[in-house]
Formats: sequence, C-alpha cells, structure tokens
Amino acid sequence: MTEYFGTTVADIFATMPKRFKPEEAKEVDIAIGYEATGEGGGKWKATIKHGTLKVETVDGDLTGCKTTIHTDAETFVGVTLGKIGALDALSSQKLRVAGDPKFLMLLLPKIFTPYAAPEKKPVSVTARDIITTIAERFRPEKAEGVAMTIGYDLTGEGGGRWTIVIRDGKCAVRGGLADPLTVKMTMEAKTYAGMMLGTIEAVTAFTSGQVKIEGDMAAAGATAKFFRKYVVPGATEAEELISLRVTNAIEQRFATGPVMGHWFAGLREKKFLANRCPKCGRTQIPPREICAWCRVRVHEFVEVGPKGVVTHFDIVYFASPDPLTGAVRDTPYATAYVVFDGSTEREAVTMDLKKEDIPRLKEGARVRPVWAEVTTGSSRDLIGVALDEQEESL
Amino acid sequence: MTMQEDHKDCFVLEGKMALPNQYFAGRLGSRFLIAIRDRKKIMGLKCNQCGKTFVPPREYCEKCWTKIADNWVELGTEGELVNFTVVRYGDRHLPKKPPYILGQIRLDGADTPLVHIVEGIDPREVESGIRVKAVFAAKTTNTIMDIDHFEPV
Repeated sequence: MTEYFGTTVADIFATMPKRFKPEEAKEVDIAIGYEATGEGGGKWKATIKHGTLKVETVDGDLTGCKTTIHTDAETFVGVTLGKIGALDALSSQKLRVAGDPKFLMLLLPKIFTPYAAPEKKPVSVTARDIITTIAERFRPEKAEGVAMTIGYDLTGEGGGRWTIVIRDGKCAVRGGLADPLTVKMTMEAKTYAGMMLGTIEAVTAFTSGQVKIEGDMAAAGATAKFFRKYVVPGATEAEELISLRVTNAIEQRFATGPVMGHWFAGLREKKFLANRCPKCGRTQIPPREICAWCRVRVHEFVEVGPKGVVTHFDIVYFASPDPLTGAVRDTPYATAYVVFDGSTEREAVTMDLKKEDIPRLKEGARVRPVWAEVTTGSSRDLIGVALDEQEESL
Repeated sequence: MTMQEDHKDCFVLEGKMALPNQYFAGRLGSRFLIAIRDRKKIMGLKCNQCGKTFVPPREYCEKCWTKIADNWVELGTEGELVNFTVVRYGDRHLPKKPPYILGQIRLDGADTPLVHIVEGIDPREVESGIRVKAVFAAKTTNTIMDIDHFEPV
C-alpha cells in the first residue's frame, strides 16, 4: 500500500471506528462517500446513523451517499493529517465535495478524534552491528598488496574494541586491540555509527576532535575504499541524488604600489621600513601613502627594529575549522602585538609568535624577527617573531 | 602639481582564490541526469492538462501550474535544431574551443528546446531545421555533458 506522509489511506479508514465518538453523533444520520484516486486509493463509504458507524469499501459506484468527497490519495492523507490545508485543497480543486462542504468540515471534527499517523520505530544500528559486518563488505580488489591492522576503540553504548586485519587480500575482524597496530582510531561508538551511516562527515568529525587517530594517518584515510558501504538491513535503497563538489578558482592580481613595494624590498634585505608622517611624526608600519591621522602625504622612510617589545597578545586554543575547507590551524597559536624599536609608541604590529615560546610569553617581552630561509621581497619573508633569548638571559 | 613617485620597487602579486562550492541538481535534475548517464535516455516531464512536455524537467507546468513532477515521459534522442548561435570567444570555463555551435534542440516528443553543443557540421553551414542526434559521452561526469554533443543525423 502506497504511503503518503508516513501512512496510508486504508489505515485512516481502518482506524475510523476507534476514533468515532458515538455520543457526539446521536443526532447524525448521514452516509459519506469517499473516493481517493491514484496509488493507494480506493472507495469507501461511512454510514453514520444514531450513534453508530459502519465503514465499508466500495467496488462500484458510490450510491446512497448524501455527500461524497473526491480527491487523490496523497491529498486525502495530507488533509486528514493537517499537512495540507482543507481550504487550499478545495480552492485548488484537488479536493471536491459533492454536497455541503461546510457542513462536513463542522461535523467531522465533532464526531471523530483526529487521526494520527502510526509511529514508526526508528531502526537503531549500533557500531557493533556495523563493525561485525566489515569482513562481508571487504573488497579484495581494492586492497591488493595492502597489509595493515586497524584498531578501533569505540567508547560508549554499542561500542567496544576491535582489530581489523587486512592481509593477502583477506580481511578479518577480531575482538580487542592487537599490538602492534598500523593505526588506532578512538572515538565514541555513536560517532563511528554516524560516519558509517553518512549522518556525520568524517572530515568534520576528525577536525573537530571527535576522532583521535594514532599511527599512520594516511592508512586511516585509506580504509574507507577497502569496504563497501554499510547498508541498514531491510532499508530501502535511498534515491540517488546528484550533488557536485567543485572548487572554483578566481585569479587575482595584487599591485603593491610604490609604498608597499618599498616595504617588501626592505623585507628582502631583512629590514623594516616604516614611513614617518611629516606632520605628527608617527611611524607607520607597514607604511602607507598617507598618514591615516593627519591625511597628508608621507614621503620619508625610516628603518625600525628589527627587535621590538610585546605590548599585549592573544593565545588561541580553539581550533576553529575553516568553513570552506575544514582545515584547522595547529593550536595553540599566539598573535603578539609588537612595537618595533624606533617606532612611535602606539604603532603595534600583529605578528605570529613562535609556538615553542608561547609558555614564556609575557607583556613587555623582547622579541626578534624570524625570517624565511630565503627572502625574496614578499609577504612570506617574515615568518613571525620569537622571544629574544639574548635579552631574556640578561 | 605633478606627483613624484618612485616605481622601482613596485610589483604585481599573482593570486588565486579557491572557492569550494557544492551544486545540488535537485530531485528531478538528478533523475534526469541519471537516466542520461545510466540508460542513455533523455526524459522529460509532461503536463497532462496542457499536453506540453518539458525538457529539462521542471516540477510545475509553466502554463497551468499543475504539479507534473512524477509524469516522466521518454523523449527521442533525435530532434530538430530550432535555433543556434556560434560561440566565437574562448575562455577557460567554456566547454569547447571556439568556434562552436550552441544549439536549441527540440527533441522528438518534447515541446521545449534543450540547449546543447552541435558538432559535425561547419558553423558556416549550419541552419535551423536540420535533424540532429545525441552522442552520449563515453566518460560520464554527472552533468549535462553526459550527452557529449549533438550531431547531424
């Protein structure tokens, strides 16, 4: 029987006697004919007389009915469940009533309790169910020459510890964790189940820290292709939907202009070339053509640094994934605000701080620049700053 | 006053911005593409009320707003070239090297034209009204390019 909105026309009529309220229908004497067209449809007749109800299916014409309702099966179920507005269905002619529609709309809610679609028990699949079928889903042709042992430590309900051994084109699942393992993956059992059923994206689960991988990362990434997808037993195959992932590239050209060009030329020589406002005297770093405060053109370049002092800093511990790519930065990382020697006092520049120096970072710390191995006059020449050991030891 | 600028340190940085996108073909679009990909068949949607058959598929009839999403009909893989243009400029995002013919093809059984590339005829000699047939791509990509092109019958 064809289902609409999770139920069938037949179920609506089958539950009618249960939903009937005889005490409300004592005065009623009516026969209502129903015709639902399309798949899962049919004809029914409901006779209500002095507090009794008789529901029957009709093969031929609907005869002896004071009122008849004609619609397609989907609309009928939709209107009954309130998913489709009865007035909408009437005005769009999807539902026709021969007789008095207003009378029916007042009468039916009075003598019947509303119909509710039967609740379906969701199929619950545990990580155990999935992992124990892994050997059946093995694709030897995809794992030629592969030899690895993969350990799963799945915590929480439905979890456990398993080792999957792939060798000589064969695959076996064993309880417990073997030693040594090519790779070990630790996660909650429900995360694993979600990834296998496609409700959780593997990359996201990993970048957000829900999956811990120890050992060969590449092996962990490769495992998926050795197995056919897990299909919930008895589930009807989902309709294939096409979705294309495309990475579009936009070509860009950035011109430095003379002032930033001079700054980059300075970086090539490992020099910080700021420029000084002729009016207020402040140094701008990186330099700009016009003093942002005085709005006058700036011509004079001065070399500042290369060392400086940290005025304040941020340490970031949270690995927020890039919303476009899912990539995350290595955490923690620190951004230090540095005033280079010779700059005017409020001209702090944001700089990445060397990761190893983060625990010793303090306001007022002295820092030195960390340069790329080869400086070419680009934004990649300056990697960041590091605490200046020479001055630290003083 | 003329501005004095020293251009000796100026340079241009070439950049490329990557924008990962996801394009969903929709339920009807997916069925349409899958029929081309797996069965080498071009499917349209017919409005029984108006009798009009649409390709590419659309959920509602454009004339009477009848929902036609389930009324699939198989169209021919041949049709009439009802209109065309010759693309004479090249760019990397375009599917072919210019010049090439972009045609509107009314497939047998359809009332609306399908836009696709026409090959196998010189752009100087192409005319509206000629019969063309679909040539399906050997390597499929889940796009309309699973029909590689149309060519004269």
